[in-house]
Amino acid sequence: MTAICIYFQAHQPNRLKPYTFFELGSDHFYEDDVLNAEVLNKVSEKCYLPANAMMLDLIKRHGKKFKFALSLSGVFLEQLENHRPDVLESFKKLAKTGCVEFLSETYYHSLSYVFSKGEFDRQVEMHRKKIKEHFGQEPTIFRNTELIYYNEMAQHLEGLGFKGVLAEGVEWHLNGRTPNQLYKAPNADKIKVLLKNFKLSDDMAFRFSDHNWPEHPLSVEKYSSWISDSEGEVVNLFMDYETLGEHQWADSGIFDFWNKLPEAAFEKGLSFKTPSEIVDELKVKDTYDVHEPTSWADTERDLSAWNGNTMQIEALDKIYGLEKAIHQSSNKDLIHVWSKLQTSDHFYYMSTKFKDDGAVHSYFSPYDSPYNGYIYFMNALSDLEICLDVEGIEVY
Amino acid sequence: MSRLKVLMLGWEFPPVINGGLGIACLGMAKAMSKHVDLSIILPKTDPDFRVNNVELIGLNHVEIDEFKAIDSSFEYSTFEDVEFIESEILPYKYDERTRTVTNEISKKGETRQVYQESRIEDLDLFKSPELYGDDVIYKVIQYAKYAAKLALKKEFDVIHAHDWMTFLAGVEIQKQSGKPLAVHVHSLSYDRSGADSRGWVYDVEKYGMEQANMVIPVSHYTGKICRDHYGINESKITAVHNGADPVKVYHQEKTFPDKLVLFLGRVTLQKGPEIFLEIASKVIAKNKHVRFVMAGTGDKLKRIIESGAFNHVGDKFHFTGFLNKEKVNRLLSMADVYCMPSVSEPFGLSALEAAQFGIPAVISKQSGVAEVLHGALKADYWDVELMAQHILDVIEDEKLNKEVVDAGFEDLKQLNWENAAEKLVPIFEAHCK
Repeated sequence: MTAICIYFQAHQPNRLKPYTFFELGSDHFYEDDVLNAEVLNKVSEKCYLPANAMMLDLIKRHGKKFKFALSLSGVFLEQLENHRPDVLESFKKLAKTGCVEFLSETYYHSLSYVFSKGEFDRQVEMHRKKIKEHFGQEPTIFRNTELIYYNEMAQHLEGLGFKGVLAEGVEWHLNGRTPNQLYKAPNADKIKVLLKNFKLSDDMAFRFSDHNWPEHPLSVEKYSSWISDSEGEVVNLFMDYETLGEHQWADSGIFDFWNKLPEAAFEKGLSFKTPSEIVDELKVKDTYDVHEPTSWADTERDLSAWNGNTMQIEALDKIYGLEKAIHQSSNKDLIHVWSKLQTSDHFYYMSTKFKDDGAVHSYFSPYDSPYNGYIYFMNALSDLEICLDVEGIEVY
Repeated sequence: MSRLKVLMLGWEFPPVINGGLGIACLGMAKAMSKHVDLSIILPKTDPDFRVNNVELIGLNHVEIDEFKAIDSSFEYSTFEDVEFIESEILPYKYDERTRTVTNEISKKGETRQVYQESRIEDLDLFKSPELYGDDVIYKVIQYAKYAAKLALKKEFDVIHAHDWMTFLAGVEIQKQSGKPLAVHVHSLSYDRSGADSRGWVYDVEKYGMEQANMVIPVSHYTGKICRDHYGINESKITAVHNGADPVKVYHQEKTFPDKLVLFLGRVTLQKGPEIFLEIASKVIAKNKHVRFVMAGTGDKLKRIIESGAFNHVGDKFHFTGFLNKEKVNRLLSMADVYCMPSVSEPFGLSALEAAQFGIPAVISKQSGVAEVLHGALKADYWDVELMAQHILDVIEDEKLNKEVVDAGFEDLKQLNWENAAEKLVPIFEAHCK
């Protein structure tokens, strides 16, 4: 019996305001509070609240046979705490069903693993505490920002005690093998690797409402049969939670689809399992050998969504270059401000890719150009450096 | 000699400005109006903007009926003393939308219209907010036609045209009126697009200067380019340096401890933005307590932003994009050094503004302003090392800093529009005797 393992990512960045040169040294608040609250409210109404209500109903209706995993970034949880406690409450209700597994990630939805292991560990620990505080769970499965994953990371996570990690099933690393089974890294024996079924996941995330897609409109029956016809033991459907109602609007029928999906799946003899159930119940079938970082972003499925041009490379270098100086300050507020500047979205907005991937980047970006995204970020970072300088801390 | 009547042909004029041209034309017009009767024909004016004793005529505000009246009232006989009407100026043919201008001149006594019929859609061109744009050449041609029509009703002794956009109109009016033409050269295709640039604009510049009776570049530097690069006869070239209107100067404490070096201007090849970035990178490598700000926008901006990131100076090298006057002054009120590394700068008014703010200037030798700011620190634009050293010196050496600033104040005393007008008017008078 093939299992369906669903994981949804929910995250909202703290977008920066158009922070100009003239603010340097005088305005130490870089975020666009109004915009961030606006987006949070909009997505709460379009996605989080209706999706949570539907999921809660599905779990009740199907006697807890419907289950899935959620990963909520720390910065997203902070935004909910500050602006939408009602939405936070609806996530807590899901947690209480026992059918929703909360995953571990970096608190600031950052690329820290690639740049600083120390910073990564700090953020994972912060996130663990936050999840425990709100949902009473101790995550045992890790998912890195935008599914960033490579061999080296598996070993590090194993050392931190995780029993499983989520990753993109990258075609050219799978080499014709199915993503629908458990893998392990060549350099870590205990931790198990769950690979995203990119075809079936992206049918939901990217193609569902595309009228030019030959399968449009997609029925639950057809989708369930694709899953049941798949080889392997588990089909990992990994996607943004915002796919429900935000990336795919309600009028595309996305909610109806998910509302009917479990029933259709059960009819095909499929079951739903959480990542930790998969890790506990299934055996490792093969080795997934990835030397360089992979991710679920862009056609390249690598880090180029965040470090593909000189602006992104410099911005990343500079923000992580401040780590030592920031901690020297022992100033909690400064550390938090610095950490929030690590959120991957800031670098994503600076991408100068074009065509399809470029269109996705600019869909998410609050700025009219990647160059402005870079300018505002660097101005904010410069101000942070000035703050450190004024405190007498040597920068770089 | 009685008071001279000057018909000025301008393109940019406050409040419709793009670069320094409009500012210079206004300054010059104000000063000249004390010595001559002045009318200015512009593509666009704002009726709320007036200058004492200067008649401002904007094609965007002239009614079509007025032109139609000119069309029907001027007959061949009006021109019987004119030997030749060059009605098919070569570059006019460039744009296919341009209809051929009537070029038949009928026999004396017959009444025939010489000019193309006025059309409302031509005049609508000047109502669009953009002075340049993709159709600038078409605008320039229409400007020439309609300015020439208006000139038929005007009485004047000399035509004074500013930059290539008005050169065709100037030549057109020169031919129809027989009055002497002075072309004022604020900037050339050579400066804006590089020494190798050729094309319609270059041709118009060359043609305008060749036809003109007087060529007035804004510096000796530009005069040399007119002579050597455009082959203009040196005997009709007389450089007149721009002035600088006194600006309201104030000083403001920076909100950060570092020194600030300022680049002001379009981010285009001419202004040397890439050189500024290289200078900045060298300075930052030696003194990390220096920040650089590039204020302006242009076709090189994205490239400079990426190069800045590549040079790893993005946290010390800032971009503001286009700034209004108030913001520019705010920058000037904070800056410690003004840097103008232009590849080719006919004058460089902003360097004088910086001097008024008491900011020491580091400027390229390939600029007109280098001829008049005697105390400024200078280097060839390509000498990035020396430029960087100048900046470090003027930041770190207080005595030198004071010397440069004081010399700037001294130079400024001579650099006003009154002096410019007093040089300019006699040149005109000499041609009107």
